[in-house]
Amino acid sequence: MIISDLISDLTSMLPDSHVEEKSSPNQFFGNDGDIIISPKTENDIAAVLHYANENNKKMNIAGNGTKRGFGGTENKADILLSLSDYKGIIEHTVGDMTITVKPGTPFQELQDYLSTHNQKISLDPSHPEEATIGGVIAANDSGPKRLGYGSARDHVIGLRMAYPNGEIIRSGGKVVKNVAGYDMNKLFVGSMGTLGVVTEIVLKLRPLPKYESLMLLTFEKESKEEIRSFAVQFLDSMMEPVSMELLNPELAEKLTGQKVLTLAIAFEDVESSVHYQEEFVKNMKSGASQMTILAQQEAKEFWKRFNYLFPNGQREQNGLAAEAVVKVGVKNLDVIQILKESDWLEDAHNVSVHAHGGLGHGLCQVHLQGAQDDIIKAIDSLRKTVKQLNGYAVIKHLPLALRQVIDVWGGKPSYFFLLEGIKTKIDPKKTLNPKRYVGGL
Amino acid sequence: MSMKEKDVVQEPPCTSESLSNYLWKDKPDEDKWADCVHCGMCLEACPTYELTGQEQHSPRGRVHLIKSVADGKLEVNEQFMDPVFACLDCKACTTACPADVDVGGLIEEARGQIRQAMPLTGWRGAVSKFFLHRLFPHPGRLQSAGNLLKLYQKSGIQTAVRKTGLLKMMPEHLATMETVMLEVKQSVRKKYHKEEVVKAKGETKNEVAFLTGCVMDVMFSDINDSTVNVLTRNGNDVAIPKKQTCCGALHVHAGDRDMGRKLAKQNIEAFEDADTVVANAAGCGCMLTEYPELFREEEIEWRERAEKFADKVVDVSKYLHDSGYEKPKAEINTKLTYHDACHLAHGQGVRQEPRDILLDIPGVEMVQMPNADRCCGSAGIYNITNPEMADGVLESKMENVPEEVEMISMGNPGCMLQMAMGVEKYGRNEKVVHTIQLLDWAYQKEDKQRGQT
Amino acid sequence: MLRKKGLKTHDKHIKKLAAIVGPKEILFHKEELISYESDGFTIHSHMPKAVVFPTNTEEVAEVVKYCSDNDLPFLARGAGTGLSGGAIPLNGEVIISLVKMKRLLSVDLENRRAVVEPGYVNLKLTNSISDKGYYYAPDPSSQYCCTIGGNVAENAGGAHCLKYGVTTNHILGLEVVTPTGKIMEIGHDGIPDAPGYDLLGILTGSEGTLGIVTKITVRILKNPEEKQTVLAYFDDVADGSQAVSDIVSAGIVPAALEMMDKIAIEGVESAAFPVGHPKDIEALLLIEVDGISAGINEQINEILDVCKKRNVRSVKVAQDDEERAKWWANRKTGFGAMGTISPDYLVQDGVIPRSTLPEVLKRIGEISKESGLRIANIFHAGDGNLHPLILFDSRIPGQTDKALEAGSACLQACADAGGSITGEHGVGIEKREEMRFVFSDKEIEAQTDIREVFNPHYLLNAGKLFPSPGRCAEVKKELKAAE
Repeated sequence: MIISDLISDLTSMLPDSHVEEKSSPNQFFGNDGDIIISPKTENDIAAVLHYANENNKKMNIAGNGTKRGFGGTENKADILLSLSDYKGIIEHTVGDMTITVKPGTPFQELQDYLSTHNQKISLDPSHPEEATIGGVIAANDSGPKRLGYGSARDHVIGLRMAYPNGEIIRSGGKVVKNVAGYDMNKLFVGSMGTLGVVTEIVLKLRPLPKYESLMLLTFEKESKEEIRSFAVQFLDSMMEPVSMELLNPELAEKLTGQKVLTLAIAFEDVESSVHYQEEFVKNMKSGASQMTILAQQEAKEFWKRFNYLFPNGQREQNGLAAEAVVKVGVKNLDVIQILKESDWLEDAHNVSVHAHGGLGHGLCQVHLQGAQDDIIKAIDSLRKTVKQLNGYAVIKHLPLALRQVIDVWGGKPSYFFLLEGIKTKIDPKKTLNPKRYVGGL
Repeated sequence: MSMKEKDVVQEPPCTSESLSNYLWKDKPDEDKWADCVHCGMCLEACPTYELTGQEQHSPRGRVHLIKSVADGKLEVNEQFMDPVFACLDCKACTTACPADVDVGGLIEEARGQIRQAMPLTGWRGAVSKFFLHRLFPHPGRLQSAGNLLKLYQKSGIQTAVRKTGLLKMMPEHLATMETVMLEVKQSVRKKYHKEEVVKAKGETKNEVAFLTGCVMDVMFSDINDSTVNVLTRNGNDVAIPKKQTCCGALHVHAGDRDMGRKLAKQNIEAFEDADTVVANAAGCGCMLTEYPELFREEEIEWRERAEKFADKVVDVSKYLHDSGYEKPKAEINTKLTYHDACHLAHGQGVRQEPRDILLDIPGVEMVQMPNADRCCGSAGIYNITNPEMADGVLESKMENVPEEVEMISMGNPGCMLQMAMGVEKYGRNEKVVHTIQLLDWAYQKEDKQRGQT
Repeated sequence: MLRKKGLKTHDKHIKKLAAIVGPKEILFHKEELISYESDGFTIHSHMPKAVVFPTNTEEVAEVVKYCSDNDLPFLARGAGTGLSGGAIPLNGEVIISLVKMKRLLSVDLENRRAVVEPGYVNLKLTNSISDKGYYYAPDPSSQYCCTIGGNVAENAGGAHCLKYGVTTNHILGLEVVTPTGKIMEIGHDGIPDAPGYDLLGILTGSEGTLGIVTKITVRILKNPEEKQTVLAYFDDVADGSQAVSDIVSAGIVPAALEMMDKIAIEGVESAAFPVGHPKDIEALLLIEVDGISAGINEQINEILDVCKKRNVRSVKVAQDDEERAKWWANRKTGFGAMGTISPDYLVQDGVIPRSTLPEVLKRIGEISKESGLRIANIFHAGDGNLHPLILFDSRIPGQTDKALEAGSACLQACADAGGSITGEHGVGIEKREEMRFVFSDKEIEAQTDIREVFNPHYLLNAGKLFPSPGRCAEVKKELKAAE
């Protein structure tokens, strides 16, 4: 079928959706389509899926495209389904602290609306202005406040999914506690759009903290032992930081102007409690040479800048230089070792490295910039270290050309047959986001 | 081939209404199991479940078995007997149960059925008959058994037995037991046999009657001695009714409820005139409070008297605690731990009083024993009838005895014997003492010091 | 007395299973098995074929493999405290009891995790790390005896999950024996966000139908610096439930927010752990706030204000740990305590959006009247998780059925209010049909599809969780498969 036929087929089928040919598919990040469809209703979404599935068309799904560089080895599929027009709040029950939204809603838009009710979604994903809630859920994204906030999987209480065959399947519900049947929400959160298209998301909310602050600690000697012993001592206290993020000197420089290993500790609570915890840190024998406290708005602005440090799939690059963002998972305190390792990568592979990692949960992000070959080598070498620590390294952002030569997911787990079985059951024709996920699912 | 959804059995809720297989008198009480909702809160409290992990050896499992016989699903047979008799009667489940299900009562009733259905034969029958019918109900005979024991200890045969390695020929658990047999002294009943009432030292404030207990009075006579000393020192006239007999706990635990009733009636009569009946053996004291249960279906005309009697019974530690006692002035410098006898803690709800008494003795430092109210495995004569299980229970008990203590204090002779065995078996060297003994020693030391000055 | 006799059986499967786990670790006599005919849900019962007690993962895998190869239905069981019948051997299963796999394998305080075997009792974990100031957050009321393996199967909640989340939020890794006998490790070393579909998430709460968990890595938390507990008595249920909404709306996230109504109070007060609640109040709230000491009083004062605004009769703050423990023991033994005021009870487990609390409670009152059965309410009001306890006497013909009907009607009321049929007890056998209140045939099929991936021969814990195919799509599927 030629593209124009496809367009006319779909246009007549979907009066409410915008359908057009994509003149120049995204060569740099891929995951594009010959035609782009932007539906405005769930019916249309289901209809497109049904059509594609019946006619053996492949389909990529996108929100605003911030994760275009995350997974996938193909330049384009037949169709790119864009959810950026499918947005808005469906229901917000203030007293129940739950909200139902459409997937194309930009994350920050939601937070801004909720803040008028003194509520929030307890998540801090990157690029919140552009990233859609659907994308955040599909990638199970979380930010530097993961320690206190948890991840997307902890906040989604209900979903409506359009299955590849066009059926609408609900999972979970509108209540915060629910064990009726399998916890299908969990299956869909983080599935990178390979099982279905999210058409509705129910999230549980938290009250906005009454006060927040951020402490920045720098360590003169920058010794691993010093930071480790401070972290162990602090984590063993009864303080309740929402973030304990270690920033490598290059990253710290971008945020604070000082090129030195920095520990960012965030508190959110009533004001008296936040100050009490600040005092606690001050009174600890931390070995820190400098302590800066940013309160309220200053802290908010710091985190805002933080969330825009790394590149996203909306931005293309030129030339031979490339950027990569690697998500590393290790045991909590091994984060220190990963950060040290990142510094070493800089020298060994001639790349620039910005990295941070949470001491309370073990997740790190390593941003690499340099020549394509060097980036591949740096990632390989980072993966060796990670493997020794029993962890994993997933590349969250990488140009298509490089994704075609390196497995962004880092191989198949022993239980791959289960993952494959799930994919095959739900999407037997491999219609959705082809080859985007682990093991080429 | 695989199972298809349609093959899956979808049974209607069960509504079986069948004939009970309890065919003898004094049946397990339906109301008792009706309270059990099978929630499982009892599981972790039960030492035999801890050991076996098997539900039939758990309180709710046993209740379910007993109910199943009544429902006609099971019969009273050997396989039913196993779990019912493996119960230690420790009553920890009663404490744990949110609905206060009287598991112990059910077990004893079920044992009654089993014994009527399958009277004991062979050596077990003979041994049981000897102890339960010929010996315990007759203080005089026990006295002479005690005499025998005394003879055994004094004559040098004991030393000979121990030295010659004859011990090795005895079954292991009996051998261990022998090594801890206490030195038998003169019993209290014999000592005070001429007196109706042992008068208080100084002014009489209260009158109490004292249950001397059969084993206690012979094998642990010094504890009884201490009890009389402590009571009289604190202004109590102590009556020791001559007609009193064995409490019957061992009989009832063994399912011999007829004998239990006979002994109960004798005790009820013997203590008819007393307002307060003091016991220093938790097992006996607990049994006395449970007499009404024996007359639930049989000889119900005794029920009211049994209830009245039960209300008068109190453990010596609680009695002293409530009626007031003189705090000793002499120091006993020791580090000790306290073991909750099941029939004191779970059976009579006495936990804090003995601890308070111990802490009132100057110089005593108490170390908390984890799971202090876990059964030691003695459970009457359980350690003789179920040695394997009793050993397992004892082992886990001994693991909880803190390393650094010199003494283990408790309020029950059965426990004392068992714990002494534990000390012996696991190469420990703690001294096993009765709470009241320690108080008495402090008084004696005080008197001695006063005498010297 | 432990059975010492040798294996007297001619059943080849029993002999083979005994060879795997050892002759002392298998039960097969009727008298031994009858205790396994039900779990904490007693309305259904069925005898198992045998009970085996493996002591390590390899034995579990071998037993599973044997059963799978020989078409023997099987299921896993922990302490058997489940309230929806998930461990009842409906098809005469071989029960794989995991109570002998009860070790605490490791504790890593620095990285805040512990590894336990599935038979390890929930509360023991907290007890074993409490001296260092740590605890394990999920605290189902049965935590004294329920196992963490069972908690994973049921995605157990508890009074304190309002703030800290349920079991699934605390599981970092699992070792699982699949229904065909393969041993899988998911979430290596407890590192979060392992690449791939969230199998930890789907396994947790799958009620033992997708695999048998043999090792669990859990997150442990540091004790809160301070804890305050408030007990408030109300003369009107509506005031009490309004106070619940107000507290949450004030931006407070209590660690726990529990409610009991008059009949429930009658039950707990006549049971083993009475507190001395007045007999004539209509509702009580038990509210716990924890966190940094410097911020607690502010929150407590706010809660007291809210209660006063909502016409509280009296309200007090626990003076010490002992008083707090007393209040909690009273609350946590609430279900079992119903035994003292009724021979039988059926506990339901609906969840509703918090704002619909007053109307749903009213509806439950009507259901009680219609059925002629008393219904007590004990519930986690903070997260809208209701536990109507339907009191009945199974010895009276017809009452069991009436109770079941009333229970189902309560769940219908919850579903109608936009809620769910179960918040923490699971579907099991009990609520299979009620699944239709919240899911369409296709949605149920979407779930059984996942089961087929894990449990292809459908020998593991069959007949649970999903309604029997009658009119639903599964029949069509069955027919298709048969073709």
